[in-house]
Amino acid sequence: APTVIKFSHVVAENTPKGRAANAFADIVNTFMGDEVRVEVYPNSQLYNDNKVLEAMLLGDVQMAAPSLSKFERYTKKLQVFDLPFLFRDIDAVDRFIASPAGQGLLASMERKGIVGLGYLHNGMKQLSASRPLRVPADANGLKFRIMSSDVIAAQFEAVRATPLKKPFSEVFTLLQTKAIDGQENTWSNIYSKKFYEVQPYITESNHGYLGYMVVTSKEFWNGLPEATRAKLKKALDIAIEYGNQVARVKAGTDRAAIARSGRSEIIQLTDEQRAQWVEAMKPVWKKFEREIGEDLIEAALRANEG
Amino acid sequence: MSVRVLNRIEEAVIALLLVATTLLVFVDVVLRFGFGTGWLWSQELTLHLSAWFVLFGASYGVKVGAHIGVDALVRVLPRRARRAASAVAVAAALVYCGLFLAGSWIYLGKMFRIGIEMEDLPVPLWVAHGILLVGFALLALRLLQLLWRVLRGEAEGFRFADEAEESLHLARGEAEEARR
Amino acid sequence: MTSAVLFLLLFLCMAIGMPVAMALGLSSVVTILFFSQDSLASVALKLFEALSEHYTLLAIPFFILSSAFLSTGGVARRIIRFAMDAVGHIRGGLAMASVLACMLFAAVSGSSPATVAAIGSIVIAGMVRAGYPQSFATGVICNAGTLGILIPPSIVMLVYAAATEVSAARMFMAGVIPGLLMGGILMFAIYVVARIRDLPARPWPGLRELAASFFSASGGLMLIVIVLGSIYGGIASPTEAAAVSAVYAFLVAVLGYRDIGPLKGVPWRREGEPLARAAARNLLQMAWALVRSAGDAQVRGVVMEAAKVSIMLLFVIANAMLFAHVLTTERIPHAIAQQIVEMGLPAWGFLILVNLVLLAAGNFMEPSAIILIMAPILFPIATRLGIDPIHLGIIMVVNMEIGMITPPVGLNLFVAAGITGRSLPWVVRAAVPWLGLLLLFLILITYLPQISLFLPGLIDRLQGY
Ligand code: NA
Ligand code: NA
Repeated sequence: APTVIKFSHVVAENTPKGRAANAFADIVNTFMGDEVRVEVYPNSQLYNDNKVLEAMLLGDVQMAAPSLSKFERYTKKLQVFDLPFLFRDIDAVDRFIASPAGQGLLASMERKGIVGLGYLHNGMKQLSASRPLRVPADANGLKFRIMSSDVIAAQFEAVRATPLKKPFSEVFTLLQTKAIDGQENTWSNIYSKKFYEVQPYITESNHGYLGYMVVTSKEFWNGLPEATRAKLKKALDIAIEYGNQVARVKAGTDRAAIARSGRSEIIQLTDEQRAQWVEAMKPVWKKFEREIGEDLIEAALRANEG
Repeated sequence: MSVRVLNRIEEAVIALLLVATTLLVFVDVVLRFGFGTGWLWSQELTLHLSAWFVLFGASYGVKVGAHIGVDALVRVLPRRARRAASAVAVAAALVYCGLFLAGSWIYLGKMFRIGIEMEDLPVPLWVAHGILLVGFALLALRLLQLLWRVLRGEAEGFRFADEAEESLHLARGEAEEARR
Repeated sequence: MTSAVLFLLLFLCMAIGMPVAMALGLSSVVTILFFSQDSLASVALKLFEALSEHYTLLAIPFFILSSAFLSTGGVARRIIRFAMDAVGHIRGGLAMASVLACMLFAAVSGSSPATVAAIGSIVIAGMVRAGYPQSFATGVICNAGTLGILIPPSIVMLVYAAATEVSAARMFMAGVIPGLLMGGILMFAIYVVARIRDLPARPWPGLRELAASFFSASGGLMLIVIVLGSIYGGIASPTEAAAVSAVYAFLVAVLGYRDIGPLKGVPWRREGEPLARAAARNLLQMAWALVRSAGDAQVRGVVMEAAKVSIMLLFVIANAMLFAHVLTTERIPHAIAQQIVEMGLPAWGFLILVNLVLLAAGNFMEPSAIILIMAPILFPIATRLGIDPIHLGIIMVVNMEIGMITPPVGLNLFVAAGITGRSLPWVVRAAVPWLGLLLLFLILITYLPQISLFLPGLIDRLQGY
């Protein structure tokens, strides 16, 4: 019987990640179906992002793609992706990922039994709020919903805002009733979760990167024959390439759809305003420099000079 | 220590967990709405407190006969058949406990070896989730006790005091008050 | 095959008298052991996830705690007095007032049996004394009590929200109009019956007494404002509102009404006591009472009762989530969904099917478990047929309401039997005539989605621009 790979993720099937996972399953099931079968479980059907890695280590899930911030308990190095204003744009992220430093990070959790197979994009993050955010002082005293991440918490504290952790399913209502003032997310999430309908202002800050790492367990991966591993890696690379393409296109179309809806004003930062934000948030780099490693931050910065 | 003291401690722990969870969420609201601030770790802590509350309390539920169940079918059986059915039911519940104890042991062992912590609190994961072992061990003890009593004919099986009866119990005093 | 074993095991375990929670858990684990690659460890992991990763479900113990203080703390009694004063003078008014009292209590409590117990234990006896047939009174209360889970807050809605990831706040909002409608229908039916059977009315108590009883009840009724107001006023999420509600219910019962706890029998103002002195004395006594509550036997009793109910309910829910997880890993919902989609049912036909299945399930199982097992199966199909998730949720809730008054497992029936001291068959006969109304209501809710969706939509339109 073919080896079964359960691929568990938490988003819908029509999202870039969902489509990449399905593409991976299609390729594998078509071309190596007698050897390996991939079953995709979307929408947190099996596990949420917190528990999926534990289930993977127990051998009950073979592949998953949690967001990079979720790896904080396994390695501090991946926090480099959360640092604000480190990457100028998504191309810089691509160059960093392709660099030896970026590829090296795939192996950063091997000691905990997790092997990275590749990176999937969601996109660059924007800031949305109930008030226009043009300069860092505008965020002063506002409450922002964040994912669990020390770096992102520090990022909002750097502009004297209050980061709060809230379950994703209630974020819409909390924003709607103004119990929280704002949040940060990519264009595609702001669009699909309808945050733009309840947040009158979105600042096109591109201040951070939201992405995922496709991971598997070391035990499972090393148990596969060398040739199978190579073929799977190839299939995944194609699926990732496709998913990332979808993500890029989607960022553009979703941004346009939000602009067209007229429900929130998209604020462009002038160079001078942007510099203020960078200035205010840059101390966060220093704060996490020791945990992440200076060399990694250097490498990321070099990727900006493509 | 006498059984009475142990019982008091058990109840105190359960009440404390419930009250602490409630107050923590309440304080969270006050902090955010009143002072525009909040603790990042409070959500994870409250969720874990409530998990502890349920797992620790499950065995207490057997003791006070509070589990929800259907005994309509068993009740129509003749006495000896009923006793046999009850014994099988309690034994099956023990199997349930045993399987979960085994599963928890493997799971916690793995988390211990990998050595990860909770998300927002600097507590090892295996400690935070260790209540799985504690809870199911206590539950197994209570079930063994119950099985012994069923076999000796001192108990009829699980007593089901469902949500209905609980609500009733609470409201009864009230009704008497109104009648006066 | 797998699903047959799974369900068979579940029924067998329940039939021999295992607690529902353990029956759900055992059948899940055994199925996993024999039919799946999954490990025992993953089952333990999943159970812990069910208990520790659902912030929405955290609201359940809070609402139960709050209900416990309201049921014992004299709130129900004051709500009933107010309801009697408001509509008691209409023909059949006492019964109508009971419905109104159920509605008001439903708006502060999340559970149906709690509503029946709190209101029913007082008003059924009252109606009988006033000349109503006991079966009439019992039937009315059994039905009106089901509003406990339709009028927000609602434990069943919280479970649905946790199972499907829709917002609990939106579910709550969607339940308001259906709840008022159902209450209205019941009162209208009572009025008609009262005319035909010439049931008694009470004299109009006068505006003064109405205002007095409203003021007296307002301590409890404030909870409606606190819960719904804080959710829609942007102060709190449903879980947080539940915690606030629990704290408030404690304060109002122990410090306000003083029917239980360390201040029991201590008057707000002694005869002839100067106002300033009374204020100072109360302030000190209340502060001291807060400390003394920790050791107070009555307060501890209420907390322990609430703890017992919460533990058991959450334990059932966690095991039901495990059961649903096994269904998912074995791809059973996929298979069923596939079959139903291939049948080519239109949305209305699918909804008939949904209602039949849920009504059948409601005869045997506890509402939270049903929702957790059925929602993963029904939700994807409904989405594909273009049915709004919120609408589907309300349909499920109304089905669960009906399940509460159908034998053999019907929580409201059990409570009513307990209150009246009558047998279960007697209570069933008393409730059956009113069942028709609920079924009619179910049809309305199923085929007029606007009843459920109007209010959430309106809120969107009001706040969106
Ligand atoms: Na309610
Ligand atoms: Na029923």
